[in-house]
Amino acid sequence: MARFTLRRLQEGWRTQLRVVHALMIRELHTRYGRENIGFLWIMVEPLLFAGLVAILWRFMKGPEEHGIGIVPFVVTGYIPITLFRHGVARSISIFVANSSLLYHRQIKIIDFILVRFIIEMLGGMMAYVFIGTVLYQFGQFPMPQNLGLFISGWLLYSFVTLSICFVIAPLSDMSDVLEKFVPVVTYIMIPFSGLFTMASWLTPTLRGYLLWSPFVNAMEMMRKGLWGDDVTAYYNPWNPIVVSVVTLAFGLRLCRHVRNILAVE
Amino acid sequence: MIECINLCKSYPIGSGRKHVLRDVNLTVGPGERVALMGRNGAGKSTLIKLIGGVEMPTSGRVSRRMSVSWPLGFAGGFQGSLTGYDNARFIARIYDRDYRQIKDFVEDFTEIGRQLKSPVKTYSSGMRARLAFALSLAIEFDCYLIDEIILVGDQNFQRKCHHELFEKRSDRSMILASHSVDVVREYCNRAILIHDTRAMNYGDVEVGITMYESF
Repeated sequence: MARFTLRRLQEGWRTQLRVVHALMIRELHTRYGRENIGFLWIMVEPLLFAGLVAILWRFMKGPEEHGIGIVPFVVTGYIPITLFRHGVARSISIFVANSSLLYHRQIKIIDFILVRFIIEMLGGMMAYVFIGTVLYQFGQFPMPQNLGLFISGWLLYSFVTLSICFVIAPLSDMSDVLEKFVPVVTYIMIPFSGLFTMASWLTPTLRGYLLWSPFVNAMEMMRKGLWGDDVTAYYNPWNPIVVSVVTLAFGLRLCRHVRNILAVE
Repeated sequence: MIECINLCKSYPIGSGRKHVLRDVNLTVGPGERVALMGRNGAGKSTLIKLIGGVEMPTSGRVSRRMSVSWPLGFAGGFQGSLTGYDNARFIARIYDRDYRQIKDFVEDFTEIGRQLKSPVKTYSSGMRARLAFALSLAIEFDCYLIDEIILVGDQNFQRKCHHELFEKRSDRSMILASHSVDVVREYCNRAILIHDTRAMNYGDVEVGITMYESF
């Protein structure tokens, strides 16, 4: 009996991998087509965002802030926030948009969320590597001092974002009002994302409040991983871990509820 | 074998609920061809969607111990912005089949030639029906869920469906939602009549038809 269950689990796992793979190809086709650079478009948007804002800041604020280059500082802030904002925006009404796929039983609604998120995450990572390499050639980007810490920070940031997508997607299906609030809320979130400042630049009281945000903790990890001893970072990896696990559990519960009441044309 | 156990389905409507199906119990064994009859809006499509797992029942459950196709009709199953070939490739991937075999079968069965390179949203409903049938036949299910409206194709398509589905695959099961008494008489060996949220089972198709006509 135990072996039988294990085999079924393996089979289910293989099916899900197959489905996610097929859905990703389909999503890339429908979104970017096969013309010109095709799926490489996934990294263009975060690239443009981070690049142009960095140039803007460079001219507004000069070459350095608190001893680190302003261009790489802005880039490290904007690529993660782009992942968050796009991930959330893509999760809205995701079930309705994909409902015709539910005719195939092996496709689950959480696959939709997963697929769109993975695409955003891959785009963000590609943009990060690309822009980092280019800037490094011009001496404008540091060689990562602690690659492991940097990657852990990125993964935690992504995991928090994914868990929030798992809540936003079913909620947007349950209430139309949510859709109207998401853009403004993600905008208000910017100061709490660690985008503009490092925690060490703030007063201890303010820092205390800001470090409740899982995004700030993950962002500090990424920046510490990049600049190493050149910066002082404050972070607790358990904050993003706990926040995302709790959010994910809640989100999965909501997804299950929505699947049960979802009307498919 | 497919078993529906105490299936209920209701949708929220205004402040109340509209009950579409109540306590539906039915079993479909291998090789059985079940006609699903009922007036417009009686709940035929809803029952097909529940059996196909497209929607979830409000209560009760469906157990499937044979492979069941997705509901074949005009809606669902396809991505309109993708081409016929891309849809075939997608279906081959998620059902873990060899794409080349599926491609050959689809080209042969649909006879729509170069149109397969165009997005499915540009297809006529007849062409969509051909593609849906071709794909589900290529994958080979034990039980086919069919909405009869899609069988209303041209002569050539009807002949092909008849040959592929009723002759070559006569051992398969089928659940066919239908208004056409002739179709039911010709192809089905059982009838289920949905009326007033209940499903009634008739082992004899003729009895079912008589009841259906009396409503």
